Amino acid sequence: MIDRQIPQERLQLLWVLAYGAALLFLIRLVNLQVLDSARYLEIAEKNRTQIIAQAAPRGRIFSSDEVALATSKPSFSLIYFPGQSRTNAEIERMARALARPLGADYEDLRAAISRAAAREKPVRLAENLPPKIMLALSELKAVYPGIDIIVEARRFYPFGAYLTHMMGYIGRMDAKEWAARSKDKNYSMDSRLGKTGLEKMYEKELRGKDGGIYLEVDSRGKVNKVLESRKWVPGADIFLTIDSKAQAAAEEGLKKSISGKGAVVALDPRTGAVLAFASAPDYDPNMFVLSGSEKEGLPAGKTLPEFNVALQGTYPPGSIFKIITAAAILESGRVKPEEKVFCPGYYDAGSRVFKCWEKKGHGLMNFVEGLTNSCDVYFYVSGQRAGALNIEKYARAFRLGQTSGIALPDEKQGNVFGPSARAAKKSYWFIGDTLNLSIGQGETLMTPMQAAGEITAVANGGIFHRPYYVDRIVKSDGQLLYKGGQQTLGRVELKPETWALMREGLRSVVSEGTGQIAKIKGAEIYGKTGTAQNPQGKDHAWFVAYATVNNEPSKVAVAVLVEHGMHGASAAAPIAKAVIEAVLREDLKIKNAPAVPASTAVPAAVQAPQLPLPSAVPARRAI
Amino acid sequence: MIFTPQTGLKKSRMDWALLLAVLVLLAVGTIAVFSSVVVLPQQARIIRVQLMAIPLGLLAFSIAWSLNYQIYQDQWKYVYGILLAMLVGVLIFGVVDKGARSWYRLPFFSIQPSEFARVGLILVLANFLDKRIGKIRELQTVLGAFALCLPVFFLLIKQPDFSAILITFPVALIMLFASGASVFHLSIILGYAFISALFPILWSIINLNPELLDSSLVSYFYHLSDSWLSALTFVAAVAACGWGLWRLSVKLYANVTGVYFAGAVLVITLGFFSGMLVKNQMKDYQQKRLEVFLSPETDPRGAGYNLLQARIAIGSGGILGRGVFSGTQSRLGFVPERHTDFILAVVGEELGFWGMLLVTGLYVLMMGRIMQGARLARDRFGYLVNCGIFGMFLVYFCINFGMLLGFAPVAGVPLPLLSYGGSNLVATLAAIGIAESVYARRYALV
Repeated sequence: MIDRQIPQERLQLLWVLAYGAALLFLIRLVNLQVLDSARYLEIAEKNRTQIIAQAAPRGRIFSSDEVALATSKPSFSLIYFPGQSRTNAEIERMARALARPLGADYEDLRAAISRAAAREKPVRLAENLPPKIMLALSELKAVYPGIDIIVEARRFYPFGAYLTHMMGYIGRMDAKEWAARSKDKNYSMDSRLGKTGLEKMYEKELRGKDGGIYLEVDSRGKVNKVLESRKWVPGADIFLTIDSKAQAAAEEGLKKSISGKGAVVALDPRTGAVLAFASAPDYDPNMFVLSGSEKEGLPAGKTLPEFNVALQGTYPPGSIFKIITAAAILESGRVKPEEKVFCPGYYDAGSRVFKCWEKKGHGLMNFVEGLTNSCDVYFYVSGQRAGALNIEKYARAFRLGQTSGIALPDEKQGNVFGPSARAAKKSYWFIGDTLNLSIGQGETLMTPMQAAGEITAVANGGIFHRPYYVDRIVKSDGQLLYKGGQQTLGRVELKPETWALMREGLRSVVSEGTGQIAKIKGAEIYGKTGTAQNPQGKDHAWFVAYATVNNEPSKVAVAVLVEHGMHGASAAAPIAKAVIEAVLREDLKIKNAPAVPASTAVPAAVQAPQLPLPSAVPARRAI
Repeated sequence: MIFTPQTGLKKSRMDWALLLAVLVLLAVGTIAVFSSVVVLPQQARIIRVQLMAIPLGLLAFSIAWSLNYQIYQDQWKYVYGILLAMLVGVLIFGVVDKGARSWYRLPFFSIQPSEFARVGLILVLANFLDKRIGKIRELQTVLGAFALCLPVFFLLIKQPDFSAILITFPVALIMLFASGASVFHLSIILGYAFISALFPILWSIINLNPELLDSSLVSYFYHLSDSWLSALTFVAAVAACGWGLWRLSVKLYANVTGVYFAGAVLVITLGFFSGMLVKNQMKDYQQKRLEVFLSPETDPRGAGYNLLQARIAIGSGGILGRGVFSGTQSRLGFVPERHTDFILAVVGEELGFWGMLLVTGLYVLMMGRIMQGARLARDRFGYLVNCGIFGMFLVYFCINFGMLLGFAPVAGVPLPLLSYGGSNLVATLAAIGIAESVYARRYALV
C-alpha cells in the first residue's frame, strides 16, 4: 500500500452517506409497502377498473287481482367513461357532436363530461334514448371512444295517472338524500329512489341490487378485458289489496264528476284492507322517472297536485254525520225510535229559524223515516233531546278527530265539534250549535278516510281496523318478505237494536230515500248521502255506503267525496255504486266490469325484462 | 469488514462479489423492463435494444477489465479530446428526441454520448487531481477541476441535458472531497451551486403562488431576472450589503477578514447570474418538474400525477409483490416512464418489499465493493477513479430512489443496471469494468 496522502476518514464519511441513504429509503419503503400497502392496493384496483353500473329493475307493484301497476322496462342510456378523450379540446369536440342528436345544451354536456373526466367516474349523458337517434349515436360512438350506449331497467307505470297518491313516484336524489346514502354501496349518485308514497315507504324492499360491468382499463381508458359482469337482482314485488277494477271505477268517476276534484276510499269491512284509494286531481308519475327533478318533469307553469284529498282534505261531513247523531239518539234512550216528529220545513230555535233541506217539509217522521229522508228537523229535535255532549261522545267513538292509522304520511285528523271541544277553547255553547252539530254542519271536519271508517264500522258492527294496503311483499326469488293483515284499533259498542235500526234506515235511504241512484240489482246497499254546506263555494257532495250480498258479511264499504259536487245523491252516489259493482263483480256476475283506464292493459305478472348485457362493452382489444 | 484494508493475501483478479451484484441487478432490471414494456407500442424495439445492449455492455466490461486502467492516465488528453469531440459532434450531427439534441442515430441503434462523457470525465478529473495532489488544499486546484468540467457542462446545457449535469456535478464534488480538497473551498462551490439552484426555485414558488406578487418587494424580486439592468442593481445591492456588514464588523471589533465578505458577495453574485441563466435556459417541462416537486398537487394529471401513480404502484406491491408480469399499475400504463426512470416502481409493484430490499442491498454491496477497490488500489489515480465511479452510483442511487420516494424532485434520472437505456447500460458496465481493472491491478507487481 502506498501512501496516497489521502485522509481515510473522508472515505468513511462517504460510506456513511451511502449507508444512511439506503437506510432512509428502506424505512420509507417499509412505510409504503408494509404499513400503507392495503390503501395503495385499493387505489391501484380502482385505477384499473371502470364500473358501468346498471340499475336493477325496482320491484313491481301489483293490485290484488295481479295487474301490474308499476313495472320496469328496458331503456337505453348514453354513458361517457373517462378514457382517451379527455383533453379539453377533445371534450369540447365530443360535446358539440353530441349536442345536436341529443337535443341537449352544449355547455351542459361539456360540463358533465369534464366533471366526469376529472372525477374519473362514468356518467350518464342522456337516458331513455328514443330509437330514432340511436343510429346517429352509434355512429358517433365509433368516433369518440369514451361514449357508449348501455341498457338499463327503468321504472314504468303502465296506467300513467292511476293510484297516484298511494303509489308515489321515483326521482333523482337531492343533495340531502344523497348525503344520507353516499356510504350505501347500493346507491350511486345518479340512482333513483322513491320520493313519495309507496315508492318511498318501501324503498328498501323495492330497490334491487344494481348490476355492473367491471372493465379493466389501461391508463388511457382503453378497455383491456371484462373482469366481471355482475347480474342485477330485481327488487321485491309488492302485492296491494287494491282492486284494479274498483280503483279504475273510482278514478273514472272522479274524473267525470262536475269539479273533477274529490276522493274515493273503499275498504273491506271484514279486515280493513283498502280496495280503492283515489284522490283527484292526480298526475302521471312517469314524468318524473326520466327528468332530473320534480320541477323538470312538470309542464311549465303547473304545480304538482300532490295534495292527497283522501287523507289530507278535511270537509264538513253534512248529512253523513247523521249516522253518528242517529247512534247518539238511539243509545241515549231519550228518544224512542217510533216517536214521531213533525217537519214543517223549518225549526224555530227561538233566536233563529233553522231550515230543513226540504222547504216543503217532510211531515210526520219517525227515526227510520227521518234517516231515510235525511230530515234535518227530525235530527234538530231528536239531537237536542239526546244532548250535544252525547253526540260529541259518539263522534269521538267513531274516531273523528283521530287519524285512521293507514301507513301513509301526512294524514289529517279533522275536527271534533261539541260542547267539550268548545269548552276546551274557553268559549260558550249555544242551542244553535247543537242543531248544527246534529246535522253535521258547524265546525265538524272529516277526511274521506274517516268517512270510510265510519261506514265500515256500521257494516261490521262497530269495529275499526287499521286500513292496510300491502297484502304481501315477495322477493324476486319467491321468498315471502312480509304479509299484511288486519289489525283492530277499536270498537264502537252500540246496542244490537241500534245497529238494526240504523241499518234499516240506511237501507231505505237507497231503496226509497235520497240515495236511490246507488241501487244495485242483487245486492243490498246501505248508504247515506251528504251535502255539506260550504261557505267558500258550492256545496260538497258526500256519499257513504256499504253492500251485502245474500246476507253474507259485507265485503265493501265506500266513501265518496266530490268537492263542490252540489248534491251527494247526484254527484257522489253514482261513483260509489260503480266502485261497489266493481268489487262485487263476481258475486253479482257482472259481465262487463269497468275496464282499467289505459288501453295498454298489461298481462298479469309481467316478467321483468331480461336485458341483454350491454353491447356497450367495446370489443376486446388484443394485447 | 469493509473498513479494514485487506493485506493482500487474496489474489483474485476479479471482485466476484461486485460482479455477482452487478449481474443480479442486471437480471432483475431486464425482467422489469420486459414486464413494463409489453403493452408499449415500441416494445419490439425496446426489447431488441436491451438484448443488444447486454452483450455489448459485457464486452465493454471485459475490455475495460482487461485493459490496465493506467492507460487512461497516460492518454488523458485523448480521453478528454474524444469526450469533447463526441459532445460537440452531437450538437452538429445529432438528432432531436424529446426536445434535446442528444443522440447519434446509427443504423440499428442510437448512441447518447453524454452517458460516455460522464465516465470519461471521471477519468480526466482523477488524472488532474492525482497530478495536483501536492496543491490539493489550494483554491486554484478546486477551480481548475471545475474548469475542466466547465466545457462539458456548457456542451450539455446546449443539448440540453440537465440530468447529466445533475449527475456529473456532485460526482466532481465527491472526487474532490475524496482527494482531500479543503472543505471550505468545497463549501464555497456548494454554496455557489446552492444559490444557482435557489433562485430558480424561489421564482418557481412565486410562479405557483401569484398572490405573492401583491407585495411590491416580492414583485421586485420576481422581475429581477427580466433584464440585465435590474440584475445589475441587485448585484450592486448585494455588494453594498456586504460592504456595510464588513464596516459593521470592523466597528464592532469583530476580527473577520474582509475577504470573507468579498467572497460571500462574489458567491451570491455568481450564483445569481447562473441561476438566472438556468431559469432562462429551462424548458417548460423542466420548469414544471421543479414546480411539481415544490407542490405536488398543482398538476394532478401532469408530473405530480406520474409521481403519485408510481408511488401507488410501489405501495400496492406490499411485502411479497403482485408477481412478475402481473403489476396492473405498470402494465396498464399508469406509471409513466416505467421502463426508464420509474423502473423501481415496476420492481416494487411486482416483487414487493423483498424485491426492493434486494435491489437496495445489491446496490449498497456494489458501492461497497467499488469503494473497497479504491482502498486497495495500487496508486492514487486508481483510488480516485474508483471514488468517482462510487460517487456516480451514489448520486444515481440517491436521486432515483429519492425522487420516487418523495425526497427529491422528479429529475428524469435513470437507475443504472435496472433502467432501460442502451448507452447508459454499456457506459455503466464499462465503468464497472474499469473499477474491476483497478481491483485486479491492486498489487504493484503483477
